[in-house]
Amino acid sequence: MGNSNLFGLDVLSILVLAPAFGALLVVALPRNPWLGRILSLAIALLIGALAVIVFFSYDRTNPGMQFTSQTQWFALLGSDWSVGIDGISAAMVLLTGILVPLAILISWEIEDRVNVHLALILFFETGLMGVFVAQDLMIFFLFYELSLVPIYFLIDQWGGKNRKYAATKFMIYSIGGTLGMLLATQLIGWTAGTFNIKELTVFWPQFDGTGGTPGIFLGIDVQTVKALAFVGFFIAFCIKVPVFPFHTWLPDAHGEAPTAGSMLLAGVMLKLGAYGFIRLVVPLFPDVWIADIGLLGLNITWAGLFAFLAMLGIVLGAFAAFAQTDIKRLVAYSSVNHMGFVALGIAVMATVYGQAYATGSSEMMKDGIIAANGAVMQMFNHGLSSAAMFLLAGAIYHKTHTRDLREYGGLWVKAPIYGGIFIFTSMASLGLPGLNGFVSEFLVVRGAFPVFTWLTIFSMVGLLFTGAYILKGVRAVLHGPFNMKWRDTDVEIELREFIAIAPLMILILITGIFPNWILYVINNSVTLMMQGLS
Amino acid sequence: MGVPLWMYLTVAAALFSIGMYGVLARRNAVAVLMGIELMLNAVNLNLVAFWRYLTPFNMSGQAFAAFVLVVAAAEVAVGLAIIIAVYRNRQSVEVEDVDMLKG
Amino acid sequence: MVNFNDVNYLPWLIPLGPLLAFAIIALLTNRSRLVPTTSHEYGGHHPDYDGMLVPVVAPWSRVLSIVVGMSGVTAAWLMSLVVFFQGISTSKLGLDEKVFESSRNWLAMGADAFRIGILVDPLTVVMLFMVPLAVMCIFIYSIGYMAHDPRQARFFALISLFAGAMLTLVVADNLLLLFVGWEVMGVCSYLLIGFWYEKKSAYRAAIKAFTTTRVADVIMLLGIVYLHSMTGTLSFRDILYNEEVLTMLAGTPALIVGSWGISAAGLIGVFLIIGTIGKSAQFPLHVWLPDAMEGPTPVSAMIHAAAMVSAGIYAIIRMYPLFEAGGYPHSGEFTLPLLLMAVVGAFTALFAATIALTQNDVKKVLAYSTISQLGFMMAALGIGAYIAAFFHLITHAFFKALLFMASGSVIHAMEHGEHHLHEHHDEEHSDHAHDHAHDDHEAHDSHDAHDHHETVGEPIDRDAVDEPVEPHFDPQDMRNMGGLIRNIPVTAWTFIIGGISLAGFPLLTAGFWSKDEILADAWYVWSETSSVVHIFVFVMLVMAAFLTAFYTARQLSMTFLGAHRTEEASHAGLGGSRSIISITMQLPLVILAFFAIVAGFVGVPPDFPIFGSIFAPDGNPFFNFVKYSLLTEMQPPKPPFNAIPVLASFAVALGGLYLGWRMYGRTPLKAGEPDPMTKILSPSVYKLLQNKYYIDELYVAIFVKPSKWFAKNVVVVFVDKGIIDGTLHLIARVFTWIGDLFKVLNLWLIDGVGDGIPQGIIKFGAWFRRIQTGQVQQYLLLVLVAVLLVGLIFAVSAGFLQAAG
Repeated sequence: MGNSNLFGLDVLSILVLAPAFGALLVVALPRNPWLGRILSLAIALLIGALAVIVFFSYDRTNPGMQFTSQTQWFALLGSDWSVGIDGISAAMVLLTGILVPLAILISWEIEDRVNVHLALILFFETGLMGVFVAQDLMIFFLFYELSLVPIYFLIDQWGGKNRKYAATKFMIYSIGGTLGMLLATQLIGWTAGTFNIKELTVFWPQFDGTGGTPGIFLGIDVQTVKALAFVGFFIAFCIKVPVFPFHTWLPDAHGEAPTAGSMLLAGVMLKLGAYGFIRLVVPLFPDVWIADIGLLGLNITWAGLFAFLAMLGIVLGAFAAFAQTDIKRLVAYSSVNHMGFVALGIAVMATVYGQAYATGSSEMMKDGIIAANGAVMQMFNHGLSSAAMFLLAGAIYHKTHTRDLREYGGLWVKAPIYGGIFIFTSMASLGLPGLNGFVSEFLVVRGAFPVFTWLTIFSMVGLLFTGAYILKGVRAVLHGPFNMKWRDTDVEIELREFIAIAPLMILILITGIFPNWILYVINNSVTLMMQGLS
Repeated sequence: MGVPLWMYLTVAAALFSIGMYGVLARRNAVAVLMGIELMLNAVNLNLVAFWRYLTPFNMSGQAFAAFVLVVAAAEVAVGLAIIIAVYRNRQSVEVEDVDMLKG
Repeated sequence: MVNFNDVNYLPWLIPLGPLLAFAIIALLTNRSRLVPTTSHEYGGHHPDYDGMLVPVVAPWSRVLSIVVGMSGVTAAWLMSLVVFFQGISTSKLGLDEKVFESSRNWLAMGADAFRIGILVDPLTVVMLFMVPLAVMCIFIYSIGYMAHDPRQARFFALISLFAGAMLTLVVADNLLLLFVGWEVMGVCSYLLIGFWYEKKSAYRAAIKAFTTTRVADVIMLLGIVYLHSMTGTLSFRDILYNEEVLTMLAGTPALIVGSWGISAAGLIGVFLIIGTIGKSAQFPLHVWLPDAMEGPTPVSAMIHAAAMVSAGIYAIIRMYPLFEAGGYPHSGEFTLPLLLMAVVGAFTALFAATIALTQNDVKKVLAYSTISQLGFMMAALGIGAYIAAFFHLITHAFFKALLFMASGSVIHAMEHGEHHLHEHHDEEHSDHAHDHAHDDHEAHDSHDAHDHHETVGEPIDRDAVDEPVEPHFDPQDMRNMGGLIRNIPVTAWTFIIGGISLAGFPLLTAGFWSKDEILADAWYVWSETSSVVHIFVFVMLVMAAFLTAFYTARQLSMTFLGAHRTEEASHAGLGGSRSIISITMQLPLVILAFFAIVAGFVGVPPDFPIFGSIFAPDGNPFFNFVKYSLLTEMQPPKPPFNAIPVLASFAVALGGLYLGWRMYGRTPLKAGEPDPMTKILSPSVYKLLQNKYYIDELYVAIFVKPSKWFAKNVVVVFVDKGIIDGTLHLIARVFTWIGDLFKVLNLWLIDGVGDGIPQGIIKFGAWFRRIQTGQVQQYLLLVLVAVLLVGLIFAVSAGFLQAAG
């Protein structure tokens, strides 16, 4: 089962809990903003370094769960404190570890209640890390919900003009979504008598109503119960990803959140949903994915429906981004567009996994693996590039105090470095080959084409309009005649912002040119997961 | 043993009633205070009379009477002080004018 | 261990030179200081910049950037030469085991991996000769051309990246890496076309170029993924030099359209060709290319000759066996991709040539001629004239790069004349503080100069068609030139060499040999098999060739012959023959002019009278070298010499040139005189051609505006805000309403009990407190009453007790 610890420590538990303790420490400090800033950055950097060490200590030739640790937690429910990572989680842990210090560095510009703000970001990291390392359904759910709290306050307290609406909408959407998930979690865990995800993935798909804790189904047919549980998870994660048409919280939340909040929201939080799909929904419900939805007499499977929604997200997300005049909303909608590719990859993965589960093998196995690789890769890549985009949008907002694209214009004249970085990041977001986004989009499209041919073709329209909105953004900010309104404003990027974006740019470039440094790790775990069936 | 007990009691009762009338009916605070003195003395009379006729070997009746005298003296002192204070504030010693404790 | 002395590994390093140069310039040498600028720095175009704090690149960093950029491309050129000589000295270099290649893992895909690497076969070898050479010339030229631009360092960075991407594409051993170079070039062209990004026309052209090519690119991406899903590889060798794979692809019905008899190879081919239609600016995706003239002229040369559009054709040539799989054009068996190419190419060749007839902008004429010539290549590929197309690609690259740079020199000279005039003008009116700092881009944005003043802070979304604006002086307009051969003789003569090469002047020029080979191929196959497609292509191309010769003669005559039509033209010049500008801008012209002549002689058919025995004693050298990049059974037959196509070539080239000279050269246009073409074509046709068949306007009306409308009104307002958020708000409102209902219920029921008791107590207290009057005597009375009552109760109860007891 791999090495269970590093330096004789339970590193994953440290990764989860240390940020929370750090947050307490930062709040408990005297109200000196600089003390808080430096301390929280130091804590986040330490945790980030630990995450990097964990990623590189992960034994990539042995792609199962590693660094596992288990302690009894809630004996009455049969839930344990159980953590561990495989390649997929490792990539996400790495992403979280990298982004949080950068977000904190960006948050240095906050002047209002500094320590609380920074502590909330650290606390947020606990929630995110917890989800990615959880190997117990209750723990997973716990951290999944826990991560909502800090980001709610970040938006509600430090957001833009419309922050109350955005924060409330975000909270209600999320909580409303997870209600079904909570029920499904309890149902599955109670029936199985355990919440251990590994055991559940064996138990639940083959569960036929016999065995397990009896009497929970109230006489309802097992398949119906499974379908309902599936829907519970499905909607919860769809909202988080977000998959069309559950995405409308996102432009509001991202648009109104403070820069660091947007960075982490788009960079990591959206991945919770996609990660939930890959870790839970795909392995728990292989039979449901390939079953007909039996709705309106349509002859499509759940995976097909999901792929269809993903396609809509890609296309309509791009169109919606194209129509925005607010730079942060434009970037926010670009997330809908990009996460659509993640969803498409997951739909392929689910189809293939379901087929392989049902028949023992699938002739599309290779496509499934490629698409799943692409989906995880896209999660990582979108984390980098959307965080960078939000950082840049925040940087320009911080200086001009407007988010209206029409208010900028020709800023490249005064801000050559910012301009160069902006174009670089935009191109990464656009999926320029040689930068990271292309690798994952290629993999997803490659995997999806044989499985969902028409949908892939339609989603190309989205890819086209990705170009259109990116160019619109670049054009509005950098090109055109210089807007004399900013004649005496220093719009060039600050050193602090530059330091924060430099690691992202380096990773974007390295991942674009040499994607195997991370894809290899992901690929081995994905392959194990997909082929472990037969 | 010429005078029987009931006579003392009758006198004391009369005295008490007069005092009570004074307390309840008089408007002048000093008169009210005087009424109280009468009532206290009626009590003293009863105490002494009961001691003498019922328990001549137990001095408790006398002791009570002595206490009542002391208390009455203190009370008069305090009462008069209050009345003077009220008078200074209100230019009046009418009891009806002093209703600051009205709820 | 990788040994870069080995020719199997050396090509890895070729793109690396320019790419590193890009990185070094971008990160290190492009240093700027924040200083108050003057509009002078920006060529006098931005008077409102005066005194603004703007980062300005220091002179040392500009020089260093040029040095770095030049070193990068020189290194690439030298290494390419090594590979080139190794390549041509290897007999039968081909896609078989003789190829130079190496690869490494790139993407993990389940149990196996996607590999990328380099591959050198005859196609690559030839491209490695042409591309770095042309790029070198463009770089040298840019030193002079961009000398006055404040952003010269950035220019060298971007153009290095452009060159690196092109070289990546050339040495790639698989379609994905080719696509990487392809797209990076797209971005570079976007950034370079929009290099003078303050200008509306420039950034619009940039966006148009990128978006138009991206339409094609996303479809090409589909082709790539489809190919990969069928074969599990994208390596050229594994697919193209592997009969099994090709047969399998040709035999498998395609997804979706398989029932129409289209094979997988056919569908993949169509997808890939659409990619090329975008990149090589074929109808209907040609619209971006003429607008791309907004970039600096070296960029135009780069896009039109050395890199971008050639890349499209190169990709097709590269993947050719796939398109041919399942057919054999030399016997009239066409596959769908071939047909598509033949029709699109032949149509585009003629279509673009007609537009070029009426253009007055010296660069626009060349732009349309590029589209037309690329159509020649497409059509040639469509009819199976694989080697002829490749030959034309190479010769075209040389003479078109030459033509573009020469036209840039002409424009530069005209601007020089204009400034010269202004200087004199200013001496007379010294109070007229016109900024006479010389800069290139005055020329380019002359026709929308007023944009700079009106667009400050205004909302952006105005649609893509520029309203025509009264030009004050356009140095690119041929009607303003005339007689320039006396001012800039070197430029003029090289321009003329390029021009006649483009026109296909017989026997001497490269253009003749390559065009003739295409026509010969088409004629030969038609005469053998009477294939309709071949004769269609032949006729279309002959007509297009005639028009080409004609408009070339028109352009040459209008620019260089006759009298100076304007004052500016008479003062045109490059600032003395020894100035650095003059040298750097004319040396490359001479080099390219040399190749525009001699490049043709490597592809002379052996049985061509006289020339064949001189230049091709052992058979057509180009043909014999390149043919090994195909499987033996796919190699095109060598058409025997036939007088008819040769005579046709002679006739159209000479006839077109003569006619053009007759109309524009013998009796040169006077200043202000209307183009004689107007009369010949009738004004309405002339107007139609001059407006490029109104295709731009059509696209704006049917694609651009509707998609903007759709995005804004349907997606955002209707779907997102209307349906989804509407539903959510409705739910929220319903719940709020239910909440209100509960609130009322609370008032009645819960508040009734919960609040009622305390309320009662309060009310009772308020009533009861009246008993406390403050009247001591009343209290006492009450005490008395109470005592009496208590006494009474005791008494009575005692009585009862006694009575009971």
